[in-house]
Amino acid sequence: MQVTGMLTGARLLAHVGFPTSEILGPDATEDQIQGLIDRHGLIFIKPLFRGGVGKKGKAGLIGRARDLGTALAEKERLYFAEHRHGNAVAKANGVTFEAGVPAEHEVYFAITDDTRFRAPTMTLTHRGGVDIEELDKSEIASVPFDALTGMKAFVVANALTEIGAPREIISPLTQHLPKLWELMHHYGMTTLELNPIRMMPGRDGRLTPIACDLKCGFDRDDPRVGRLGLPDYLFAADISEFEQEVNQLRTHQGQSDVFVINEKGTILAPTFGGGANSLVTEVLGDVAIISSDFGGNPPYEKMKAVASICYRHFLKQTNVLFIIGGKSNNTDILETFRGMGDALREHFARHGPVPLYVVVGRGGPNLVRGMGNLADTLDSLGVPYRFFGFDSAISEVVNHAKQVDQWMRGGGRAEIARAMNISV
Amino acid sequence: MYRQGVADFPYFLGIDRLDQIATPDDRVCVLNILGGESRTVTPVSHAFSGGNVVFGTSPGRSGQVLKTPTGDIPVFNTVLEGLKAGYRFNTGVVYLPPSGVRDGVAELIRVNPDLRKIVIITEKIAVHDAREIRAMAQTSGIDIVGGNCLGVADSWSRVRIGGALGGDHPEESLIKGSVAVFSNSGGFTTTIAQYMATAGWGTTTLISSGKDVYIQYGARDFAHAFGNDPRSRAAVLYVEPGGYYERGIEWSKPVVACVVGRWKSRLTRAVGHAGAMAGSGDSAEDKERWFMEAFGVSGIFTPATPHVSVKGALVTNIADIPAALTAVMALNGDSPDFSPRGSLKLKPWIANDQGLQLPSEIALPVVTAPSPYDQQIAGLSQQIGAVIARQGMKDKSGASVMDAQTQVTSVHGHTVLDLALQPLEAMFALPLVHEIADANDRALLDVAVAAEVNLVGDPILVATDAARAAGNAPNAIMAVAAGITGPRRLERALACAQALIEPFARSGLRDGRDEGFDLSKIQVDDETRRLFLATADEADDPRPEAMLDAIAARGGRSVFLNFLQGLGARVSRDAILAAITTTIAWGPLVRKRISRLTAETLPWYLRLYGVMVGATIPGQHHQSGSLWGIPRAERFQDWTMADLCCLAMTGKRPAPNEALYIQILIGLLISNGPGAISAQGAKGAVAADGPQTPERVQINKAMMGFLTHSGYSHGGNGFEGMAFLLDQFRDSGLTDPANPNHGLDLRAMARRFAVAYKAEKRHAKELGQEVRALPGVHHPVFKGKPENFDPRERFIARFMEERGEYNVFHDFYRHLVREMFEVGASPYVFCVNVDAIIAALLLSVLWKDYQSGALTSRDLETAAFTVFLFGRMIGAAAEIDDHLNRGRNMDTRTPASACGHVL
Repeated sequence: MQVTGMLTGARLLAHVGFPTSEILGPDATEDQIQGLIDRHGLIFIKPLFRGGVGKKGKAGLIGRARDLGTALAEKERLYFAEHRHGNAVAKANGVTFEAGVPAEHEVYFAITDDTRFRAPTMTLTHRGGVDIEELDKSEIASVPFDALTGMKAFVVANALTEIGAPREIISPLTQHLPKLWELMHHYGMTTLELNPIRMMPGRDGRLTPIACDLKCGFDRDDPRVGRLGLPDYLFAADISEFEQEVNQLRTHQGQSDVFVINEKGTILAPTFGGGANSLVTEVLGDVAIISSDFGGNPPYEKMKAVASICYRHFLKQTNVLFIIGGKSNNTDILETFRGMGDALREHFARHGPVPLYVVVGRGGPNLVRGMGNLADTLDSLGVPYRFFGFDSAISEVVNHAKQVDQWMRGGGRAEIARAMNISV
Repeated sequence: MYRQGVADFPYFLGIDRLDQIATPDDRVCVLNILGGESRTVTPVSHAFSGGNVVFGTSPGRSGQVLKTPTGDIPVFNTVLEGLKAGYRFNTGVVYLPPSGVRDGVAELIRVNPDLRKIVIITEKIAVHDAREIRAMAQTSGIDIVGGNCLGVADSWSRVRIGGALGGDHPEESLIKGSVAVFSNSGGFTTTIAQYMATAGWGTTTLISSGKDVYIQYGARDFAHAFGNDPRSRAAVLYVEPGGYYERGIEWSKPVVACVVGRWKSRLTRAVGHAGAMAGSGDSAEDKERWFMEAFGVSGIFTPATPHVSVKGALVTNIADIPAALTAVMALNGDSPDFSPRGSLKLKPWIANDQGLQLPSEIALPVVTAPSPYDQQIAGLSQQIGAVIARQGMKDKSGASVMDAQTQVTSVHGHTVLDLALQPLEAMFALPLVHEIADANDRALLDVAVAAEVNLVGDPILVATDAARAAGNAPNAIMAVAAGITGPRRLERALACAQALIEPFARSGLRDGRDEGFDLSKIQVDDETRRLFLATADEADDPRPEAMLDAIAARGGRSVFLNFLQGLGARVSRDAILAAITTTIAWGPLVRKRISRLTAETLPWYLRLYGVMVGATIPGQHHQSGSLWGIPRAERFQDWTMADLCCLAMTGKRPAPNEALYIQILIGLLISNGPGAISAQGAKGAVAADGPQTPERVQINKAMMGFLTHSGYSHGGNGFEGMAFLLDQFRDSGLTDPANPNHGLDLRAMARRFAVAYKAEKRHAKELGQEVRALPGVHHPVFKGKPENFDPRERFIARFMEERGEYNVFHDFYRHLVREMFEVGASPYVFCVNVDAIIAALLLSVLWKDYQSGALTSRDLETAAFTVFLFGRMIGAAAEIDDHLNRGRNMDTRTPASACGHVL
């Protein structure tokens, strides 16, 4: 759950009264854009991405304009721009028009929880506007502070003094930056970065920090995010349709985030336990469809609902349904297996059977009762299976599932289809 | 702000040695002790630790207790209330929901000056709260473990605090030894301990650290306490990406680190596990490098590439931990704590290949699980057959489903089209065993049903003749026969089936035809033996011997028959019937395709099949030793069910192609899904008896339910198609409907009718009357295209064409739909529907007898109805058995709110 850019950023900063540049959204009229140019001389046109997309400038995705014609041409160029970073491709849908802010000084500011200090930590430099990684460490202040007292003015003043910041920026930053802690801490953020903050001179020569770009990450486990009233679609780009649907069922009892690893994978692996998830996802590689952690003792209804969603999205392409976890400590195997089995039965009834092989590797309370229940279901559906207890190495069971998948790819799927009387 | 704790850490750390983390002296208070998770975990921890929990809190539940094997734990509203009651503790455990954790920690710290440690089990705590918890604890000098963890345990002092390390049997995994475990994964903390035992390594202290952004007790803190712990010779770390917790630690003793999570860098989003945002210098690869640098190794340890130093080894698969640990310790001159326990090889506990021939590397043989799981699994295998959950089955079926698009119904996964091409015996068995019967089973079925068809001397014959004489349709006549085939008549056969299943269920028999099976394992008491044997009253019944002879003549194999014949006395017909049904059912039963209830009730269905077919044959043809002139031995040894059905309709054995037509007809008519009136009748009858007390459900009455829910409109209308064809062909001089050289101009015949029909239509329209519908032509689903086809008709037609079979009536229908369009009697080329092919096939079988006068048109009508009943009898059996197994008492009724009242 991340937000980048000033269209939403300005709204967020308004909650704590932090100054921002003037901004127009994609629906701005030509008159409004002309007015913006008239007031500020220079405007920037930036593509509008949902979710967290950074380094737009480096990618040549920021336009500049001093007249309406250029502004509209840049709008056309950037409206559906694509941004590629590693594996991730983001597609813009719209542009923003942001007022240029004349300034001598550009400041980089961020707050995040730094695991080196196990405390909220402010990162600050008066040499902002560039990638923070490019600067010498002596020019950057990285200061942990007490979460209970918060990021106070003196923390900012001390840090700026330490790195030799120009005198004229110390006072306005000391006055304004502590507001950002309020925003970060009280609205469920895990990280907040403003870069650049441009120090705009006022009529009396006094500088005012103007936020010109914002990135922030939200904590999905923090209900304080709701205070901001952000629309859901802002985060929709973060996740696939499946992820959106299944993660709605995420509560503190069972099921952490579920990710799609390969939409064309052939092993559907409901995994129990974070460790097991890591191991399984790693060993399965590209054949895995999802990465999941359904541990934490989910109740029957929830397990069934989650399994139904997984089946609806992916069972058709699945060769191996691979239910895998270590020896559970408190997750009730009977409840979870019953949920997944019943969901499978209902899926077959509603959408027709699919050729499938089930591999299970599991341990924990009510293990044999759970296995017995699932076996009954699979028997009634005619689905072949092999269940391993906790005394088989989980990594070996994962390799076994891969082996079954290979066999399925090499004709086994058709063989099972014939045995189950499914036309393929 | 922090209090200075042990050593020179720039933060508070109170735990100096690992043996201080979970000690026998620790006294514990559990917040939200009555919550779902704590309620199951805390009693185990408490008992394992010798009773270390002094009290718990649960607002509003003061005065309650949590029962544990070592005594009740008192519950108070608040911590303060517990302290005021005189209880003292130094360790808090937090099971509160995420939103309450921060306040719970504050409560523990503020009201209890003795507090030293807190273990937070709760997961999904907001980072905001974790930040403040860290600050509170640092200010107050409290050590915290977690959150999102499974707590801590000490194998030496047998103490477990917080979560469920070791699960519900901690003594199985927490084995005393010399290795400390620190793991980001709670589940793997236990798993690693288990794995290490396979190489002979036990544990000292185990810490599940959690993996949130704030790991309150981190790897650096652990390294310090580990270094000071004389019990711990080595440590195992399980580490996931995110955070800098493990960077730059100097380990004073050997360590095996397992870093897992390279895949996470492929996700560009933040991953909730192990905290920090991905891709910021704390990825799995980064962490691997940190450890490799710390250990002075150049690669990852695997059995093939054993990179290892005296300082330690890095693995990326937890299965490699035991070997890596042994290798590292060998370099240090240390050997394992004890002899290896168990192995990590693949050991399937339960498997079912569903009859597939899998390659050997996949079809790993099932092994015996360790105790006590082996006894539990043995208990499961005692329970033979499928276990089916009950639910309301109104308008639902687990047996049949009609595809709304193709209008093709499937029964137990087989479409009626496919079934129509199967031998009739296989169709009769399908609803009951859910699989297509093979040749052996078909032979047994033929004999079983043949033995029931001749009703000579049975009151059924009197009753059915009377019913026939009273002018009843064939369904009512069959219902009379079914009604008399009641529970008492089946009592012994069903008891025999139960008595056979019981001992064989425990014998390991997989295949009912396995004649090499060692029968000496099967023992029955005298009472059971008597159950199987013919009584003195049955001395004159020739059928037992005839059945056994017929089975031998057909080469039928059955373990159960062998067993009965080994009893050394004359076996009853009921016992033979039960042996046949149990043979047929055995494979599906052990494969759990069918329930034990189904297998035990099978004799009833087969007897009903035979009796109902027999009831359609007028009484005078049932003679001692022969049926319609066919001697018993011939019927038993040679005749198939299709032959018997044809005999019932025509009084003679059919020619091979006629038998095929009958088979196809019956197959097509098996089912139209649970919504069909006949199915509803059967299901309603089961629901009314109460399937939840299955022994009280009268299967014969359910069959009557189907029969009373068929009639002249539903079943009897099959004659309409034949009547239409008779009109067209009456004076045509046709002799052999299967001969393509019939000499008739079908096109001209069709055109004549089409022209007349068009005129009739116009006339009816002028009068404002309804136009009569043509049987066998047009379909509400398959319509609207320039040329239309009923896929069911096409399927059968293609099959017939491929076999070189010709049917003049069907050919006429094909001409008819085209000519109707040509002359303008239809707006497009209507389809020839499946009813047409039924009429065409049946009329083809009966044509010669009709022409010769041996059959009247009334006989044709009866035959059409009867063939429907034969087919639907199979579908009804499927619904009855399904409803019996799945349904609830009275579940087919319609609530009053859904009923209407009309005036």
